Amino acid sequence: MTEEPNRIKIAAQMHDHVMSLTGIPARQFYTDARVMVEAFSEVADYYGMDIFRAAGDSYNAEIEAMGGKLIYGEHSMPTLDSRNPLLKEPQDLQNLKLPDFSRDGRLPYILDCIRLSREKEKGNKSGFFCGPFSLAVGLRGFPGFIKDIRKRPEFARELLDFIVDEVLVNYLKVQQEYCGVTMSDGFNAWASIPNLSAGELMEWVVPWSQRVREKAARFGMTVGCLDGDYCEERLEKFDPEVLHNAFEVQRASLGRPICLLGQGRWHEYPLEPVLDYTAALRLQGIQVPVIAWVNARLLRDGPVEAIIWMIKRFIQTFGRNHELSLHLANIPADTPSDHVHAAVAVVHAFGKKPIADNLDEIAFTPPRRETFQEWRAQRRKSANG
Amino acid sequence: MTNIVEEIKTAVLEGEDDLAQSLVRQALNDGLPPIEVVNRGIVPGIQAAGELWQQNKYFHTDMIMSATAFRTAMEVVEPLISEVEAGGLGKFLIGAVAGDMHDLGKMMVVAMLRGAGFQVVDLGEDVPRELFLDKVIELEPNILGLGCYMTTTMPELEAVIKSLEEQGLRQRVKVMIGGVPTTQEYANQIRADAWGKDALDAIIKAKKLMGPE
Repeated sequence: MTEEPNRIKIAAQMHDHVMSLTGIPARQFYTDARVMVEAFSEVADYYGMDIFRAAGDSYNAEIEAMGGKLIYGEHSMPTLDSRNPLLKEPQDLQNLKLPDFSRDGRLPYILDCIRLSREKEKGNKSGFFCGPFSLAVGLRGFPGFIKDIRKRPEFARELLDFIVDEVLVNYLKVQQEYCGVTMSDGFNAWASIPNLSAGELMEWVVPWSQRVREKAARFGMTVGCLDGDYCEERLEKFDPEVLHNAFEVQRASLGRPICLLGQGRWHEYPLEPVLDYTAALRLQGIQVPVIAWVNARLLRDGPVEAIIWMIKRFIQTFGRNHELSLHLANIPADTPSDHVHAAVAVVHAFGKKPIADNLDEIAFTPPRRETFQEWRAQRRKSANG
Repeated sequence: MTNIVEEIKTAVLEGEDDLAQSLVRQALNDGLPPIEVVNRGIVPGIQAAGELWQQNKYFHTDMIMSATAFRTAMEVVEPLISEVEAGGLGKFLIGAVAGDMHDLGKMMVVAMLRGAGFQVVDLGEDVPRELFLDKVIELEPNILGLGCYMTTTMPELEAVIKSLEEQGLRQRVKVMIGGVPTTQEYANQIRADAWGKDALDAIIKAKKLMGPE
């Protein structure tokens, strides 16, 4: 066992990048759990990540197992055929067949991804699933489900109840039994701002995220859905009040406060509104962890100096008084490896605990590293003798 | 007459698709010229939705409902107006590239472009490269809009532009790109003429590409 580093941890969402870097064909990557987990593990080692989660198309497998149609690209992640939703009409719900969660579609592949990751030293020890709202969107299409909410709210509630009570609860039991996990994270990217307003999130997302959390707790699973990510693309529309409402959505869904600074433009947003939120809770004796993501497009486009600046700013702002963890957000397929190495190296250099009083006094030069292929060849050579 | 166009505008703005469509039929039956229905009722409705979006008062849910009502209303009136009246600003060919099934952003872009006065031909999702080329030759659009929503399908944007260059078509059409993983930097890198950050930005950039009004 490697000793736990006494610094801020760094992880990444990186399925596209892992597939691209390792050159594994999409068909194999998204059907062969052993190949996928090994690839994740190698790439995590190459970059020096602290933890990895072998997850890719985490919004599709449940629906595919129920009969939903996926498009398999030659070089891309499978995606749901949005032209052809599984529930074309509300009455189709009556005929929807529950899958055998341990056998149907690619659920065995997902279960193996979770199980095999768990066995790896750096592998995430939690399962994952598609959150209730995103699952409803997958079954009906986004415009279809939004229309349900507005025009057929009884059906929208019935569908969400079905998803939690019949689909997710049973699926989580299988994850617990087969993978040996006691925790599972619900990915719920559709339940973000500005896809929905905070009011809509509170009405149409949170109750079912709470419901799955409460039901899973009854059989010993700790479950949380990541709702309410603030992803406003237009900087001029950034609104601290909307952001604070997003944090309240996250708190209500998870049952504890967090500040998820996720897929949004956090390299451009001000961080003071986050501090205002955590300071207000601290006055009530509540500490708020901060999960800060490094923007995917910044990681790809760079420059390296901007990536370094962003991560340093996160550490400077939250490193001392908050429980801070850093994630690289969905590293794009063609991201130069130098950018990722620089991001990880910044965390290693500036994230040592206790965090230095003056980060500017720490000398830092972005590392120059061998390519992944060179690194892998060298590693295999060493392993062979 | 004024009342009914206001009602149409409100129906589109509030995403009441069935109501918008029946009001449009009523207005036409009452003798209102189709182009008046479009310019004074339907288009102001989608434009008002865009303004509320900019003010953080509308979210994607609202925009989707408005875009759907816009499309439903336009279905009734479009066959009754000439191409020039419908799309005087220019012809815009649009599609999500091969391997990409996402249609949400494109749906809003299409509605906003039509509202702005473009004649829009939507090729849908997962569009093969060859189809883009064939349609550029056949339809002679002013602008080709390429949507991409996954980082793994991004190379297809560049591949379409390269194919246009190889076929000697690149000078005939301006190319815009858009979609979640795209950026201005990426647009520059692949020699696109413009990048649309979102539906509203796409309208501004498309108008700019058409030159001074």
